[in-house]
Amino acid sequence: MMKSVTIGIVGAGGDGVVVLGSYLQKLAASQGYFSQMLTYYGAQIRGGSSAAKLGLDAEHLSLPKDTLDLLVCFDWGKYSELRQELALGADTLVLYDNKPPGGIDLPQKAFQVGFSRESQELTGLTLDKNIVALGLLLRILALADDRVKEAIEEDRELKLLKENLLVLQAGQHLFSEASFSGLALSPARDVSAKVVLNGNAAVARGAIRAGCGAFFGYPITPAAEIMREMREELSLRNGVFLQAEDEIASAGLALGASLAGTKSMTGTSGPGFDLMTEMMGLFSAAETPMVIVDVQRCGPSTGIPSKPEQSDLNHAIYGGHGDAPRVVMAPYDVQGCYRLGIEGINIAQYFQTLVILLSDQWLGQGLVAISGDLLEEDYPIEERKRPAREDVDDYHRYRLTEDFISPMASVGDEGLVYQGTGLAHNDKGAPAFDFETHQRMHEKRWRKLMPLCQRDDLVKVFGKEKCSRGIITWGSSAQVVLETVKDLGLQNEVRVCVPELIHPLPGRIKSFLASTEKLLVVEMNYSGQFYHYLRSEMDLPEKTEVYARAGGRLFSRRELTGPITEVAR
Amino acid sequence: MTVTADYRTGLKPVWCAGCGNFGLLSALTRRALPNLGIPSHRVLIVSGIGCSSRIPAYVDTYGFNSIHGRAIAIAQGAKLAKPELTVIAVGGDGDLFSIGAGHLPHAVRRNIDITCIMVNNFVYALTKGQVSPTTPHLQRGEGPFLSPQFYPPVDPILDMVSYSASTGASLIAQGISSDVSHLQWLIEEGIKHEGFSYISVLTPCVVFSPPELSSTIREKASYLREGELVELPDSSTEKPWLHDPGNISLALRLAQVPLLEKPLLGIFFRGK
Repeated sequence: MMKSVTIGIVGAGGDGVVVLGSYLQKLAASQGYFSQMLTYYGAQIRGGSSAAKLGLDAEHLSLPKDTLDLLVCFDWGKYSELRQELALGADTLVLYDNKPPGGIDLPQKAFQVGFSRESQELTGLTLDKNIVALGLLLRILALADDRVKEAIEEDRELKLLKENLLVLQAGQHLFSEASFSGLALSPARDVSAKVVLNGNAAVARGAIRAGCGAFFGYPITPAAEIMREMREELSLRNGVFLQAEDEIASAGLALGASLAGTKSMTGTSGPGFDLMTEMMGLFSAAETPMVIVDVQRCGPSTGIPSKPEQSDLNHAIYGGHGDAPRVVMAPYDVQGCYRLGIEGINIAQYFQTLVILLSDQWLGQGLVAISGDLLEEDYPIEERKRPAREDVDDYHRYRLTEDFISPMASVGDEGLVYQGTGLAHNDKGAPAFDFETHQRMHEKRWRKLMPLCQRDDLVKVFGKEKCSRGIITWGSSAQVVLETVKDLGLQNEVRVCVPELIHPLPGRIKSFLASTEKLLVVEMNYSGQFYHYLRSEMDLPEKTEVYARAGGRLFSRRELTGPITEVAR
Repeated sequence: MTVTADYRTGLKPVWCAGCGNFGLLSALTRRALPNLGIPSHRVLIVSGIGCSSRIPAYVDTYGFNSIHGRAIAIAQGAKLAKPELTVIAVGGDGDLFSIGAGHLPHAVRRNIDITCIMVNNFVYALTKGQVSPTTPHLQRGEGPFLSPQFYPPVDPILDMVSYSASTGASLIAQGISSDVSHLQWLIEEGIKHEGFSYISVLTPCVVFSPPELSSTIREKASYLREGELVELPDSSTEKPWLHDPGNISLALRLAQVPLLEKPLLGIFFRGK
């Protein structure tokens, strides 16, 4: 019995690779298994290579392993393109449709299973080969048959299986001469059904939870699912949704909605984020609440649209001309996407600021089965500071207050008419070009954000308090770092700091760095943007190493073993 | 609910003496808004960047002087979030037809109920006189290769009618800043119209436009009146027709009349 199993599936686009992976994930989730699925695509959008790597876990949420326990291969040519992502070990069980060409070394346990032939015999077409394979996988993994049937009955998204039950059952009985008993999963520790979600959907649901009532976006990979989710959620709630003509307009429309008092958001990826830069300055100058989600992909320019990188940090922190303070946050897992979706909207409203949430392609699009408790918990929801009765008929939009946050009227409020602008302005919002006012407004906009530096809860520190060796990392890379530390059994030797709030720099990062003698910075961008940001804010330990490389491929445990072992030494 | 008779703030406009923007400001604040009786807190004026875009600061309604070219996007967002607002977007020819031109056809296509006032001064005036998309060819061009032969002047009215023809739902009008009463009427019609209204306001720049531009427009201007014969330029071989703002084909023919030969003032088209 296995506590966790990592399964690879590969084929050509149209072979139903991702459908197979996500059905298996859903069926396992309905029986309480945690899981995380990574998907890989070749350069072509249709007809290219397609692979999924699904890690099922009976006890807790974990990453798929570097080496597969099981591979289902529909197409060896496509396998060759993605073999780096689908590493085989000596014990990997390989089930394939057609005989491999020369040059591919198969492990001992490799079997030709007629997925296509079986589909052809039952339906006259080879199309259902993925359903045949799903049936066989259900048997190999020993997922409970009656629960599978129940899930198929209940889950509308599994409708296709309901219609193809015969094919599924045929798959379950395929190749019955082999027992494959070694890969049976242990029963899930907690059998309550898990929720399958990707980060894009999670961040959207979080924002909705915090009261987001307007979304504007423009289609872009890999952020399109945010738009889809927001359209669905907002249509159920009588909210505002509009697909804009470009990302400048997305941000502009969102600004208009925000001025009118609606909690607004937009979501995009690198190239669209670039276009929003001029609006970022305006949000900052006019102190207008706004959330931009940037689902990072490889850059610069068009880069690699379907693969993750953590290279938009500089742009998020510094992008735009002039001194334009904003808040930059980065979730590192799907749960974080949901929590920071809420937190982002809250902070934007409370501080009347632009909040940039940096997600990435892996976080955004990778499907994860998590405990549904997260979605049920209570979360405090923040609202804007509203003008008081004495403000009526003598309203100063940018009135200086103790906490530098001025009460904000919504367009349409009686007695609170004001004129806002991206021009330098005085406390009434009227254009004012004298130095003293300009300086004072800068102070106001920067200082109002300072309380955020005390938000210790937005900086996660794992490991022993007294440890002098530390790793600091951010975003999805943190998942691989944390798992590698655990795999290596170094939890007592190194602390790992994962800030979800990156800018303004939280005090807890400062104290972590100050108490660390030997430091490793891990991030997925070529130039070490996070490292340089930290260095610009404070002195780093004398012994500081940086592990930074371009994105396009996820970090693996194997890859991080060297640098992590070194810092722990 | 309070209805103030005058919708001016106390701020003194930065415009040059004799600027047509004063006419627009007056048409808006002293006439159209008081006439319609919309409470000032129910109105939002969004502008971009340029001389005319300074207007929100001078109008005692909600206002937002945003960034170059983006007024229409912001205006639509506010209207969508709060449909009970009267939302007006103001920009110049550079603002709405050059840097922000990409937003216009989409605003027309969506037909969200905002009123867009395009203040055409035929030049980039705030930056001291560079050529704009509506600069007539009698002025020096963008560079040595720009000549009337190769780059005829852009006619914004043509574009707008074409845009609205594709949606069949809009109001297209043209006024002149020197006729404040007429402009007031157009603005009122634009605000009352349910859908995207586009009002072009001819206001040659008093500093950077050649004086003959202003005199040409004023001398040759002709008012469009429903049911009356339209005036066509002398060069036209067409037979004049009775003006019918409900007819998009006629509106398209009107839009093809060269602005400097016969500036037509009035409502070109009013969709349902």
